[in-house]
Amino acid sequence: MKILWVSVCALALTGPAMASDHGPVFGYATPVNSQGEVSCDVGLFGRGGTLGTQLSSGTGCGYGITPHITVTAFLPVSFGSGALPESRVMPGGEWATGVSWRFLHSVTSVGKRVESTASLGVVVPGPLADSGILAGQHRAAGVAGTVASGYASRSQYLWFGGGYTRFAEAARDRRPDTISWSGVYGYRPVKLRRGYEQWDYRGFAELTGEHTGGVRSSGAVVPDTSTTSVWLGPSVLAIFKNIAIEGGVQAPVYRDASDAVYGREKVRFAINFSYLKFSGHNSSH
Amino acid sequence: MKTFLVAAFVALFSMAAHAQYEQVNLTVFGMDCAPCAHAIHVSMKGIQGVDTVDVDLNTGLVTIKLAPDNKASMRQFNEAVEKNGFTHKDAEVIVRGKLTGTAAAPFLEVTGTTDRFALAGAGADIAALLGKAVVVAGVLPQAPKGRVADTLKVKSIAEAR
Repeated sequence: MKILWVSVCALALTGPAMASDHGPVFGYATPVNSQGEVSCDVGLFGRGGTLGTQLSSGTGCGYGITPHITVTAFLPVSFGSGALPESRVMPGGEWATGVSWRFLHSVTSVGKRVESTASLGVVVPGPLADSGILAGQHRAAGVAGTVASGYASRSQYLWFGGGYTRFAEAARDRRPDTISWSGVYGYRPVKLRRGYEQWDYRGFAELTGEHTGGVRSSGAVVPDTSTTSVWLGPSVLAIFKNIAIEGGVQAPVYRDASDAVYGREKVRFAINFSYLKFSGHNSSH
Repeated sequence: MKTFLVAAFVALFSMAAHAQYEQVNLTVFGMDCAPCAHAIHVSMKGIQGVDTVDVDLNTGLVTIKLAPDNKASMRQFNEAVEKNGFTHKDAEVIVRGKLTGTAAAPFLEVTGTTDRFALAGAGADIAALLGKAVVVAGVLPQAPKGRVADTLKVKSIAEAR
């Protein structure tokens, strides 16, 4: 049982900004599970461009070890043959391991809090082959770290975050390092600040950006494979007690990538369903 | 001897049955959304003896009503808040217990739990209630994480019927 538990923990993921029940669907955010809480996410993530599309379907689970430390497991499967840049904001086919720690948690008044969360994990290649420039590349594991800070209240949310992923080399091939960042503003209208036994809605404006380094193949950097892009779009989160449904779409506002290698990526979308199982167990009796 | 044991058992049982929290109104900081409230609801309901829980997200007020004969302790309510990553502030309680100590330094002992509070602002008539079962309505000030306040600020106190 101990080995099984360690294995589950070892499959925890922090890499991509996977949608997680309380937060935005694309950007980085600070919420973690409460102690004993199990969260399960099922999502569909899509990217479309002139050189094809890519769809990822992912299943993730999280467990709150303490009120501020959560391990999560997310195992995506990627479909499609799109030639698209490496992304850590949008899930690809990689599995990963890690843990999130909410190291700053300042509760200022009713409904308001300021907090920061850091995540660290290991990303490992999934079972399906990559497409585009990464097709046929030897694959190796990588490390991923993220930090997010933000403010949450009954009316407004604001989060900023960033992440870095670096892959190891395999047979002189190496996936590109990725720096990603995001800024998210959320708003819940006055009429929707209702009791918790009704649907809870809020809208987000999500700005995300990524810079990927060059792809290394046979020891040399493949020309024109480094990219930078910035994306903007809305998303909506609806929660009823312990069930959350979230969807969003983004379009590029800045793009510096080779059309010949990657085509023109035009749209990103995400739909996510979350189920939260809270623990009624208390240690004091 | 048998009669004595039965009488002792009944006396002990009746004391326990009339010594518990009846209602706890706990102000919680940091809850912004429905899952936060739901988490608090589930955690409070997980405490044995809790009858109903109502959470108001806009005021942060968690209203807990308890069944008779419960043995829930204040530490459990605080823990239910802390495990979800929130902060508990002042708690208004209605609690039954036994008044001990002296008129100058009265204490409320909540039988069935280890909760024991010094009473502040109990009034001049407290001496008449010493040694009796009482119902106290009062405020427990915010305590540091993992702790329960030592002093209960009395709003009203009366002999339990």
